[in-house]
Amino acid sequence: MLGGRFLELITAIKGRRAVRRFREEPISLEHLKKILEAGIWAPSGSNIQAWEFILVTDKENIEKIKLISPGLFDNPQALIVLCINKKRAEKGGRLGENTALMDISMAAQNMMLLAYSLGIGSCPVVSFNKTAIRELLNIPEHVDPVLILSFGYPKFWPKAPRRRPLKEVVHVEEYGKHFEG
Amino acid sequence: MKSMESILKDKHFQLLAFLITSARGCVDEPKLYGPLRLLDAASRLIDIMEDEGKSNDEILKLKELIEENIDVLMYDEEEFIRLLDELAKQLAKIIKNQKT
Repeated sequence: MLGGRFLELITAIKGRRAVRRFREEPISLEHLKKILEAGIWAPSGSNIQAWEFILVTDKENIEKIKLISPGLFDNPQALIVLCINKKRAEKGGRLGENTALMDISMAAQNMMLLAYSLGIGSCPVVSFNKTAIRELLNIPEHVDPVLILSFGYPKFWPKAPRRRPLKEVVHVEEYGKHFEG
Repeated sequence: MKSMESILKDKHFQLLAFLITSARGCVDEPKLYGPLRLLDAASRLIDIMEDEGKSNDEILKLKELIEENIDVLMYDEEEFIRLLDELAKQLAKIIKNQKT
């Protein structure tokens, strides 16, 4: 029996979109805090939590980051720059940085889903210049910015992009035996 | 000499920053992000031309076509390529109608 929580969760998962057009409406600090908190509750390999999140809401700073981020569109009201703390990641051995990247991806998804549940659109952006953002935000050498999330109230929710069907993506018991369910 | 504050708001400077960071990004990004960035730059250039009174309705229509359809790459690669062809066709019409 599928309960209310499942329905709410699957609605958020399927409803979230990469939003690239935002309204000129600020996001409250209360909501931003909820979004950030969703991030720190993501799974983390060996619980190392080798992540650092830089919240940017100052208009001028956002404009400066936009200048060096070709993939950052329109006028987001807030940015979160997700970074790997390489010193912390070392605790994960040779897999440390890979694991940190996975952890950060899960944190980002948590943040975007939480934002969606608040009616806030988001977009993950990897098209930014790492060297320049380091300089702009005074990010130290041992911290590696890997992803920017942009947030804002959407002008519209984009249509759903095509997804590869389960039958094509899922293999049952061994590779090549496609899911027929 | 312009102050730093006004440079940040200068559309030429914004285009310059976009071109330099896009050039670096194109080294690592998917192949079709190259044409995507060029289209984005074209749209920004038309903006500048408009501000400087160097544009006209036909050129502004190119910008409209770009802005309305640039996101299509995220959904449909073939449609994006059709957009590039359509823009080239419209551009050729503008050129053809000009007297040298």
